[in-house]
Amino acid sequence: MSAQERNFRILRGGGPSGLGAEFQSYSLELNEHATVLDALEWIRVEQAPDLMYRHSCHHGSCGTCGMMVNGKPKLACLTKVNDLAAGDIKLEPLLGMEHLGDLAVSPVPLMSAYPADSAYIRESEVNKDAERPAEVDRFERFENCIECGLCMAACPVEDEFQGPAVLAALNRELAKTPERRAEILHAAGRPDGVYRCERALECSRVCPTAVYPAKHIMELRKELEKESGAE
Amino acid sequence: MKKYHVVVIGGGGTGAAIAYDLIKRGLHATVLDRGELTSGTTGRHHGQLHCGARYAVGDREIARECMEETNTLRKIASESLESNYGLFVALNDEDEDFAPTFIEACLESGIPAEKVPRKKALLMEPKLSHKIGTVVQVPDGTIDAWRLPLQFFAGAQKGGAVIRPFCPVTGIDIEDGRAVAVRIRDLVQQKDERIEADLIVNATGAWAPQITKFAGIDIPITPAPGTMVAVRKRLCNMVISHLHPSGDGDIIVPQRGLSIIGTTQYKTDDPDDIKVPREDVDFLYRCADEMVPEFSKQPFHAAWIAARPLAGKSESIEDGRGLSRDFVCVNHAQHDNVHGFMSVIGGKATVLRAMAEKTVDAVCQDLGVQEPCTTTETPLPSHREYYRKGAK
Repeated sequence: MSAQERNFRILRGGGPSGLGAEFQSYSLELNEHATVLDALEWIRVEQAPDLMYRHSCHHGSCGTCGMMVNGKPKLACLTKVNDLAAGDIKLEPLLGMEHLGDLAVSPVPLMSAYPADSAYIRESEVNKDAERPAEVDRFERFENCIECGLCMAACPVEDEFQGPAVLAALNRELAKTPERRAEILHAAGRPDGVYRCERALECSRVCPTAVYPAKHIMELRKELEKESGAE
Repeated sequence: MKKYHVVVIGGGGTGAAIAYDLIKRGLHATVLDRGELTSGTTGRHHGQLHCGARYAVGDREIARECMEETNTLRKIASESLESNYGLFVALNDEDEDFAPTFIEACLESGIPAEKVPRKKALLMEPKLSHKIGTVVQVPDGTIDAWRLPLQFFAGAQKGGAVIRPFCPVTGIDIEDGRAVAVRIRDLVQQKDERIEADLIVNATGAWAPQITKFAGIDIPITPAPGTMVAVRKRLCNMVISHLHPSGDGDIIVPQRGLSIIGTTQYKTDDPDDIKVPREDVDFLYRCADEMVPEFSKQPFHAAWIAARPLAGKSESIEDGRGLSRDFVCVNHAQHDNVHGFMSVIGGKATVLRAMAEKTVDAVCQDLGVQEPCTTTETPLPSHREYYRKGAK
């Protein structure tokens, strides 16, 4: 398939500069493989050198390039332009973060809400019974959650809420460190915890790394019920 | 003692580790990046923690340094590493001939390379091709290319460093042969600013010539882009490498639920003007399948490209592979008669801390500061600390 011209409407300005925010249009030719992030890179190089957006790994592992694409939270690096509906593509900063200007945000609200001492490494689920080098106690891997905040942006809960990413991390911590059960369940059962969840499941739908935060929230609820039943 | 202020241009892995080393030695540091941190080459790394085995035959010293730094990172940044070791696998007769040389070079470089019986290797990694011959185990691993530098940034920030993404450099002020200030455009505040510095370190990798140009200096760097492809399944726990002298498509790095095959290598003039050549994707799939036959059958996840910074100009070399992966710290006082200005070029992700140590040694020597490097012992803060409320 040959290159196709697409038009992006990108929110420019806003943030602490006090500049008003407004949409600006950028058109460019894209091949069938191009992602939204590819498009932003070429727009920056060819048309808007001062365009701010976050990106790092370009393959869905860092979690920095979350943004609202046609009103839906998505990772720019994993969103193929061809998969988006025909017509203009609207890009806005990710909801639920601190806006820095253009498409750039600071993830301070999300990162501050994570349990401070939660481990980012877990045991690998692949070939669990395999032979290992003598020096390797267990095969390990990073957690699935890439802290992109898409689930926070998609969550319809309006009241004060720790949010899907943080609660999922709490449940992962519970699995890894059962000795911290009381403390973790206390955090999960706070007024801004699991009972705020309205089971809309939007978090699990938008998660780019299959964390399924809604499932973790349900599991935490069950654990809390066990506790209250035991009393 | 005067508290010297060093401005580091470039918020990649090297800039992160330099800022951390600077504040640990009692200097004040500001880091500038034109965009988000690690938005250049660093973040797009395929994520191999190189124990040095890949380099041992060509350069024992580089290999030794990789091994030392692998051990150091396991001590100070274990949360950003999957430490599962790696296997080098022979795929043909040529590889078999190369194997003894490879093992000998590893051992001479202090890398505990160990021949593993083929049968055991297949028990360690059942998805490996059954056509493999000799297998050598080495202490490789996987890096989270975003979170490892972020741990260094968190440490630097905790020590008082000021880290400013989205602040492109617009000029360098030279007075009486000395670089004295950096001019920036702060895109967040939409303001121009002049930042005074006792010394400026240019750690912009493949973009270094764009910075030295502001001081009227030409620096020999060849941007060498390479393609990587990820599929949506973790096929192995260990890093799988083709046991041959280095070439294209010879490393499979597992990471989270992904498997990543890297890489190709070209050379280019502009590190911003890079696009994934689609023929690379098919080529890399074929290479991956030779080692792990199921690779190309997995759902496609992403293909991306990153421009490595190779030290030197490469007019006579076709793909840049002949250029050194070694790291050089250039003091522009000696080479270009501009004092208070250094550039670091080349290097590899695994040795970011060591590159920073050498650079800050040179900075301290230039400023007359006598403080030893202390970045090898203390574990770094979690990557999340960089963004924790009140951390700035």
